[in-house]
Amino acid sequence: MNQLNNVFTLFLSLLVEAMPFLLLGVLLSSSLILFLDERKLIANLPRHPLLGAIVGSLIGFFFPVCECGNVPVARRFLLQGLPTSVAIAFLLAAPTINPIVIWSTHAAFRDQPEIVWLRIIFSLAIAITIGCVFSLQKDARPLLKPILAKRLSVLMYEKQIEKESLANQVEAKPILLQSGTFLLAKTGQAIKMEPAMAEKNIAANPKKTRQQKWRLFIDNVMQEFRELGGVLIIGSAIAASIQVFVPREIILNLGQDSISSIFAMMILAAVVSICSTVDSFFALSFASTFTTSSLVAFLVFGPMIDVKAIGLMLSIFKPRMIFYLVILIAQLTLVFTLSHSYFS
Amino acid sequence: MKLLTRQKKFNSFLPLLDILALLAWGILFLKYWFSEQLSLLIHPKYFSLALITGITLVILSVFRAWQLWRELPRSLSTSTDHINLLPKGWSSSLLLIAAILGLSIKPMVLTSEVALQRGVNETLPLTREQPQAFVRATSKPEERSLIEWVRTLNAYPEPDAYNGQQAKIEGFVVHLPQLPENYIYLSRFVLTCCAVDAYPVGIPVKIPQLRSHYPPDSWLEVEGEMITETLPNFATNAGATKTYNRQLVLKARALKPIPTPKNPYEY
Repeated sequence: MNQLNNVFTLFLSLLVEAMPFLLLGVLLSSSLILFLDERKLIANLPRHPLLGAIVGSLIGFFFPVCECGNVPVARRFLLQGLPTSVAIAFLLAAPTINPIVIWSTHAAFRDQPEIVWLRIIFSLAIAITIGCVFSLQKDARPLLKPILAKRLSVLMYEKQIEKESLANQVEAKPILLQSGTFLLAKTGQAIKMEPAMAEKNIAANPKKTRQQKWRLFIDNVMQEFRELGGVLIIGSAIAASIQVFVPREIILNLGQDSISSIFAMMILAAVVSICSTVDSFFALSFASTFTTSSLVAFLVFGPMIDVKAIGLMLSIFKPRMIFYLVILIAQLTLVFTLSHSYFS
Repeated sequence: MKLLTRQKKFNSFLPLLDILALLAWGILFLKYWFSEQLSLLIHPKYFSLALITGITLVILSVFRAWQLWRELPRSLSTSTDHINLLPKGWSSSLLLIAAILGLSIKPMVLTSEVALQRGVNETLPLTREQPQAFVRATSKPEERSLIEWVRTLNAYPEPDAYNGQQAKIEGFVVHLPQLPENYIYLSRFVLTCCAVDAYPVGIPVKIPQLRSHYPPDSWLEVEGEMITETLPNFATNAGATKTYNRQLVLKARALKPIPTPKNPYEY
C-alpha cells in the first residue's frame, strides 16, 4: 500500500511539474494560427541545402511546437514547396530547439547546465546533418506518401504554368487539345484536375476573419492539450512505477555502464513517447542512477523518434523513408553521446 | 444502426468530457495551491507557475463551455490537420480520471522505502548544487541542520575533523540493512525540481537501544555528539561485498519524536 502511495505521489508530482510547461507549449503553438503567415515565411527561406537545413532547424525557435504539432506544420511546409532539407531539419529540430523546451530542460536540470547545452547542440547537429543528407534528393515525391506526392505534383505544375505564362503568354488552347487529367465538374463541364486541386490547396488556407482565427486557436489548444496530456499521463505513470517497483540493482547495473545506459535510455525514449516540453522531468527521475550521456541520449533521441512520432510521420513519409530516418538518427545519437561519455 | 447512433451520442459527449477534464485539472491545481500541498510535490520555485496554470485551465474550460453552449446545434469542429494517437475520448478520459484521483487521494510524504530504493548517501549527488558550505561552516555546529551537516561534510570530507562537535538535527528514520541493529539512519530528501528527483541524504545515528524502538518513517530530533566509527559502506549495493569506511556518526544523547514537518523536503 505504501509503495502504491509512493507511486501515486511521484506520478502527481511529475504531472503538476510538467502540466504548466505543456499548457504553455500548447498555447504558444496554437497562437501561430493567430499571428503567423506561413507562406510569407516559406517564400523567404534560403534554398541552399546546408543553409536551408540550418535555417530550417532554427525556425523551430519561433514555432514552439512539440513533436505532435510539428508534423502537421512540416507537412504544410512540404506541400507549400519548401525544400526537403529545410522541412526535415525543421521536423527534427523543432521539438527541441524552442524556448519552452529549453526552459523546461533548464528547470529540470538546474544544476547540470551542460545537459541543456548538449541537448541543443546534439539536436541541431543531427537535424542539420540529416537535412543535408536528404537535400541530395532534389525531388521529394518518392519519399512522400502517394497522396502528398500527388498534391506536390499539383503544386509543381502550378509553378510551371506560372513560369510558362510569364515566358511566352501561351495562347488559350481549347480544352480538348490539352493533355492531363480531367474531372467532371458539377455543371457538367470538364475541368483540369491539377489546377482544381491546386485551388483546393489554396482554399485550405484562406484569409480568415479574426473570429474564425480565435475559434481555431481554442480548438487547437483543446486538441493538443487533450492529446499530449493523455500521453503525458501514461508516461508519468510509467516513470513513477519504474522508480518504485524496478529493483535498484537492475537500474544501477544498466545505468552505470556507458553503452548499455545509452541504449536503455534511447529505447525508453522511443517507447514512452512523452512530449518534448516535459520529457526532461521524466528523464530527471533517472538522473541519480543513469549516466549524463544516457540522459542526453534520451533528451535528443526522444523528441525526434518515438512510437507516437513514427505514427505521425507515417502521415507524411513512406515507411522506407521513416526507416532511414530512425536508423540515421539512432546512429548519430549513439555516436554523439558515446563520444561525450568517452571524452568527459 | 444502433451502434452508429450510440457512436454518435458518444461523439457528442466528447466536448463535454474535454471541458470536464480541463476544469478538474484547474481545480486540482488550485486545491494544491490553497491547501499548501504543493510543497509535497514540487520545488517552491514553481508554485506560482502551478497557480497560473490552474487559473488558465479554469478560464479555458469555462470559455469552452460557453462556446459549446452557444453553438450547441452545430457540432464543434476538430481541425483535420491533427492526427490522433489515442482513440477518441481516451485522452480526455485519462486526464479526467487522473485529476479525480488527484482530488480524492492526498499526496504523501515520500517514505523511507523510496530512500532505500534510491540509495542513501552522505555525499550530495552530482546532480545537486555543489556545496557552498564554507560560508556556513562558520555557524556553530549545534545550529547546523541535517542538510548543512551533509554539505559541510561534502566540502571537507574528513570525518575526524568533526569529532566531538555537538549537533542537533531533525530527520526521518531509515533502517539501513547494512548497519548494525543499534544504528538508525537519519535522513531527509533534497529536492531540485519535484518529488521525482528527491534525493535522500543523511547521517547514521548511534542509539542506546535497538532500532526497533524507532520505526521507519517516524520523525526524530536527535541531540548528541559527533564521533567517527568504521561502518559498512552503505552506499554500495546490498548484494556487493561489504567494504568498511571511516564515517561520521552522531552518537545520540537525546532522541525526541517530532511531528512530520509541514514542509518535509529541503532544497
